[in-house]
Amino acid sequence: MRRLWLRLLIVVVLMLAAIQVVFSPIRFIGWTPEWQSPRIGVNLGLDLQGGSYLVLEAQDTSTVRATPEAVDAAMRVIENRIDQLGVAEPSLQRQGSRRIVVELPGIQDPERAIALIGKTALLEFVDTQTTQLPQGARWSADGTTVTLPQGTGTTPTLKLQKKVILTGADLADAQASFDQDTTEPVVNFQFKGRGAKTFEDFTGANVGKYLTIVLDNEVISSPVIRDRITGGRGQISGGFTDIAGARDLAVLLRGGALPVPVEVVERRSVGPTLGRDSLDRTLRAGLVAVGMVLLFMILLYGLPGVLADAALLLYGLLLLGALVALGATLTLPGIAGFILSVGMAIDANILIFERIKEELRSGKTLRAAIGGGWSRAWSAILDSNVTTLIGAIVLFTLGTGAVKGFAVTLAIGVTLSMFTAITITRILVDATSAAVRPGWLRFGAER
Amino acid sequence: MRSWNIIGKRRWGYLLSAAVMIPGIIALVLWGINFGIDFTGGTLLDVRVARDARVEEVREVMGGFGLAEAVIQQSRERPREFIIRTESLDEATTARVTAALGQRFDGVEVLLAERVGPKIGRELRNRAILAVSIGLVLQVLYITWRFRSTRFAMVADVALLHDLIVVLGLYALTRKQVDSSFVAVLLTVIGYSINDTVVIFDRIRETLGQRIRATFPELVNRSILEVLVRSLTTGAGALMALAAIYFLGGVTIRDFAFGLTIGVLTGTYSSIFVASPLLVEWHNWSERRAGRRPEAPSQAEPVREAVQVGGPRPAAARPGGPRPGRRRNRR
Repeated sequence: MRRLWLRLLIVVVLMLAAIQVVFSPIRFIGWTPEWQSPRIGVNLGLDLQGGSYLVLEAQDTSTVRATPEAVDAAMRVIENRIDQLGVAEPSLQRQGSRRIVVELPGIQDPERAIALIGKTALLEFVDTQTTQLPQGARWSADGTTVTLPQGTGTTPTLKLQKKVILTGADLADAQASFDQDTTEPVVNFQFKGRGAKTFEDFTGANVGKYLTIVLDNEVISSPVIRDRITGGRGQISGGFTDIAGARDLAVLLRGGALPVPVEVVERRSVGPTLGRDSLDRTLRAGLVAVGMVLLFMILLYGLPGVLADAALLLYGLLLLGALVALGATLTLPGIAGFILSVGMAIDANILIFERIKEELRSGKTLRAAIGGGWSRAWSAILDSNVTTLIGAIVLFTLGTGAVKGFAVTLAIGVTLSMFTAITITRILVDATSAAVRPGWLRFGAER
Repeated sequence: MRSWNIIGKRRWGYLLSAAVMIPGIIALVLWGINFGIDFTGGTLLDVRVARDARVEEVREVMGGFGLAEAVIQQSRERPREFIIRTESLDEATTARVTAALGQRFDGVEVLLAERVGPKIGRELRNRAILAVSIGLVLQVLYITWRFRSTRFAMVADVALLHDLIVVLGLYALTRKQVDSSFVAVLLTVIGYSINDTVVIFDRIRETLGQRIRATFPELVNRSILEVLVRSLTTGAGALMALAAIYFLGGVTIRDFAFGLTIGVLTGTYSSIFVASPLLVEWHNWSERRAGRRPEAPSQAEPVREAVQVGGPRPAAARPGGPRPGRRRNRR
């Protein structure tokens, strides 16, 4: 039985390879192997580690259209802003022509992140001549009228053309700090060369008049110009309740304005507590489920059940290995897909074992019964796996977010489990039948 | 093993199916499916408050934002956790609502915050319908090709339809929220249902191919009994795993397990008590039309189709074998 040894060897090699991929207990430095404490190198999805999933949609306005180029540019700006958030492994993806999918794993304060990401952050320096506008006044989108905030005593709207002198695009840098006199949080900014010149000329020519600072059409402050400002330095004050607000604005100004406004059309945030909790609970549920299935097989089939279980465990290892090797992300539905594929795997073995039982009852020898069981159960196993695979592929193609995770695990799982349930179990059964008396392998059939 | 006459008592199966399906269909027509925010658009907040609270108190807070109509659920095993569903709220409002909850209940932790815009909701729903339809069509095409027999394939489709109506009907009856993961539930149920029917039908065709002198209903009945152990064992194994997920898994995964449990139950049931009996009905009907006695022994037309699984089984050709009950089927 030389071939049998070869086949057993393949099983052992597969197992060791999978263990190495999943837990990486041996690390290679150059060519010298070294032991390290094993850990699982699988990525956890947002639903298991907490985090935010956002779908942003670029909006047309009366002045700009959300062209693919504009959306690309917006993506770069958003990428800059996310970098400032300090998220470990953010992901940014274009979806369709005007959507951007943002994933922020492990983020602690999703509200702030969303406020930062979704803000257009178009800063404008507006020449309002002799008019001083109160903080919170809003320009209409076409820039011709201003709506004043309630309770200022004046008429709520005002006809005033927005004459933009400079924008945030002319800024070289922006930093948050405290004003030395008032200890109020402020943002200090610095114009680029040409902007600095424009700023100097404008302030020189308009001493005594007002320069209004507008962010996304809302007035932040409307200071009076006291003197010609040289060097292109300036300060935005007012409108910040705390230093964090000033810091966020500085981040936005440094990253630049979005060329088109975006709207958050879908948002899913999982707090870190729930993620941790889901992971613990689902893993526990999964372990109990798999444990019960393992026990069930032993109770039903005795020693062959143990062999099927061994194949099932190898399957679990291989699936994890495949997920790690493909860099796939393990999500909550993914674990569900895994448990489901365990069900498919035992179904394959049940089909085979039930056949063998029948063959044994009809008086065949063990060897003939084993051969018959495998060859006859094959087509039914293939059918069940193909139908499931069709479902998984459709889900992968058309599904969104978490459902996709389910589809990936299910598809890989079904393919792998078919292999382990058919091939690996066969190798183990053949090896055992060569080693023990036939009485040990009754597959639940009465003697 | 006793020899049950499942085919002879098939009317009871039809009755049970009707008893489950008719209320389900009525619920579907009257109430429809209770689509979750994934499909309608809306905001869902899952929060844990810092002190004991009642639904009415949470509703009061929501009322402050004109959202008294919100669906508010208190977690059974963790009474400080609330799930709040409202129309789609923008980020600022969501933040204000959370802050107000924190103020009222001495602190709040947002476990889950989801917002789906109405447009996305419509899109997700269309995608879901598309996914289920395409999956259904492909899987049906596969079994039709697989059986190479319209009769077997169509009966399997009817059983599948039966299972889908049962699952959808129970969701409508229990008013359970249906979200994106329900698509995964449906496609898995379709797969399971088809698979279970295929296993039984394969055996029926194999039995038919053995040219045993018995009536068609007897042959079908015998085939069912032969694979009954497999069907029940697999079903039981799956149900055990699902029960573990249902009772130990978190809230999110629980609905998933619920749908699959129904699917496994009805999928196993329908291949035995719906698909196989319908095959007999169809046989009887076409025999009667041909002017023959339907219960007469036949080597029916499926014989030449039974090529898939391999030739006649030599084992069954042997007389005897320790299978009591089998013999009663022989004449």
